[in-house]
Amino acid sequence: MFLAWKELKHSKTRFLMIAIIFVLISWLVFILSGLGNGLSTLAAATFKTMKADYVVFEQGSKASMSKSLLSNDLSAALAEMPNVNAVSPMGTMMASAIQGESKSNEDKVDIAMIGIEPGSFLEPAITEGTGLTSEEMTSVIVNETMKDEGFKLGDTFQLDGSPASLTIVGFVENQTYNHVAAVFMPIEEWRKLAFAAPGSDKGVTDPVNAIMLQGATIDPDAINEQLAGIDTVTRAAAVQGMPGYKEENGTIMMMLGFLLAISAFIIGVFFYVFTMQKSNQFGIMKAIGATNRFLGKAVVSQVFVLSLASIIVSVLLTYGTAAIMPQGMPFKLEPKLVFTYSIVLLAISLLSSFASVRTISKIDPLKALGRVE
Amino acid sequence: MTEGLQLTAASKYYDEGLNRIAALDRVSIEVRPGEFVAVIGPSGSGKSTFLSVAGALLKASEGEVALNGKDMSKLSANALSELRLHQIGFIMQASNLVPYLNVLDQLLVVKRMAGKVRAADRAKAIKLLEELGLGDKLKSYPEELSGGEKQRTAIARAFINDPSVILADEPTASLDTKRAHEVVSLIAHEVRTRRKAAIMVTHDERLITYCDKIYRMEDGKLTLAFTNSSPKKMS
Repeated sequence: MFLAWKELKHSKTRFLMIAIIFVLISWLVFILSGLGNGLSTLAAATFKTMKADYVVFEQGSKASMSKSLLSNDLSAALAEMPNVNAVSPMGTMMASAIQGESKSNEDKVDIAMIGIEPGSFLEPAITEGTGLTSEEMTSVIVNETMKDEGFKLGDTFQLDGSPASLTIVGFVENQTYNHVAAVFMPIEEWRKLAFAAPGSDKGVTDPVNAIMLQGATIDPDAINEQLAGIDTVTRAAAVQGMPGYKEENGTIMMMLGFLLAISAFIIGVFFYVFTMQKSNQFGIMKAIGATNRFLGKAVVSQVFVLSLASIIVSVLLTYGTAAIMPQGMPFKLEPKLVFTYSIVLLAISLLSSFASVRTISKIDPLKALGRVE
Repeated sequence: MTEGLQLTAASKYYDEGLNRIAALDRVSIEVRPGEFVAVIGPSGSGKSTFLSVAGALLKASEGEVALNGKDMSKLSANALSELRLHQIGFIMQASNLVPYLNVLDQLLVVKRMAGKVRAADRAKAIKLLEELGLGDKLKSYPEELSGGEKQRTAIARAFINDPSVILADEPTASLDTKRAHEVVSLIAHEVRTRRKAAIMVTHDERLITYCDKIYRMEDGKLTLAFTNSSPKKMS
C-alpha cells in the first residue's frame, strides 16, 4: 500500500487518465444494467411480481401467453394435484385505450389487459382506490404510469376498435406487461373482449391463456403426465417465454459482457505496460531485498485503489444520470444490481492485474546492476 | 566464525554455444568488517558478475560464497531476498533511486520490505540522512536532487538496515571529480566507523586512495594489486 499510494500521488496525471477511462466504462456498465433492468421490468413486471410459482400453458405454446389457449375447466383438476395450494386462471390481451372522444395521437395509450379472478392471489395490491369486484365487471385497476397519460381515478375510457368502456377504480404500482401499462380486469369481462370474434375461442369452454399455480414444491412433470395437453413451467420460464424478452435481455447482456471484457483488458494492459516500463525500478528494489510478494502487493493494491475510486465515482455519476433522465425512459437502478456490478468490475480489474504480478516475478534483480547511463 | 564476506575459489560459467565462458574464474577474496576494498578492471572483465555473486544476486557455479561464515549457495530465492534485505547494502548508480519516493521514503521503503515502519526506524533514517548532509532534503524527490545528493541518498539507503556488507557498483558514475571524491570518502568514512565489510567496483583509479586493498580483475581472474597501508581519510 505504501508504494502504491506514494506512486499514485506522484504520478497523478498518468493514473487520472486511466481512472477516467475506467469511470467511463463502469458508468456505461451501470447505465446499461439499469436500462436492461428497466426494460425487463417493463416487459414482465406483472409476471415477475406475481405471487404464482408455476404456470400451466397449453401444450406446444412455448411457454407464451399469446400462443396458449386453455379451458378454465382444468382449474378444478389442477387444484387436485399434489402440492398445489391455489389455482387461478389468467388471460392477456393487447389493446389501446382512448381518452374521451379524442382522435389525436397523444390520447391513445397502449395497454395490456390482464384478466384475473377478482380477489384471487393474482390481483396486485392497490395503492389507491378499490380492488376488483365480481359485481362491477367493467371496473378495472390500472398501473400508476397511466396517471402520466392523464388518466384519473373514476375515469372511463374506451377501447380502440371495441364498443366496450372501462372505468378506473384503482391504481397499482410496478405493473407493466409487454412494455406497456397493465390493466387488470375481471376475467369474465376480459373473455368477452378477447374472444369477441365468433370462433376465436376455438370452441374451448371458458377459455383462458394460462392457469397460475401456487405451491413451492409442485412437480411440474407429474402434472404434465397426469393431465393431457398441458405444459407446466416455472414462473421464470414463463417470463423467458414472453415474446422478445429473451432477445431483448440477451442483447443487453451481450453488451455488458463485452464491456466487462474490455474493461478487464484496458486495466490489465495499462498496468502491464506500466510494469514493463518500471522493470528497472522493480529490479533495483529486488536487489535491495524486496520480495515478489512485496512488489506484487504494491501493484495489486494500486489497481484496487484506482478501481474502487473509479467505481464509486461512476456509481455517483450513474445516479446523477438517472435523476435527469426523462420519465418515460425504461431505466431502473436497483442497489443490489449496482452493488453486484461494482463487485464484478472490481474483481475483474484485480484479476487482470495478476498479469503484471507475473511479470514482476520474472524481473531479474541483476538489471539493477546494468550500466544504465 | 569468520566475520565479513568470503569467496573461496568461486567461479561463474556461462555457456555460449559450445564454449564455456568463465565470467569468474576461481576468485578468492576475504573482506573483514571495517575493510574497504576496491575492484578495478576494464569493462567486460567480470566485475559486474563478481559483484552479483558477492551480493547474492547470482549463484556461483562452483566454489563457496560465505557471509559471516554462512554459505549462501544453498539458500532459496526468498531466503536470498531476506539476506539481501538485512545483510547486504547495495549502492548503485545515481539513477537507481525510486522516482516517486522522497529522500526519507527511499529509506523507509527498505524498512517496509522487512515489515512495519516504527517511530524508531523513522528517527534512525532521519539521523542517518542528517549525518550524510541531507537533513534539509528529506522531502525532496530524486528529480530535485543533484547527482551527489542522489548518491548520498543511495549510501544512506544501503546503511539503513545495518548490513554486514556494503557493495558499491560504480558509485561515482556520472559525477564530476569533486563530487566523486566526496561520495567515496563518505562511503569510506561510514564503512570504517560502522565496521562494515565493503567492496567498491570502479573503473576510476583516482578513487582507490580511499581503499585498504585494491584488486584488479581481468578475464574473470581477481588478483591483489596492492595494499594501501594508510588510506586517505575524509577531508
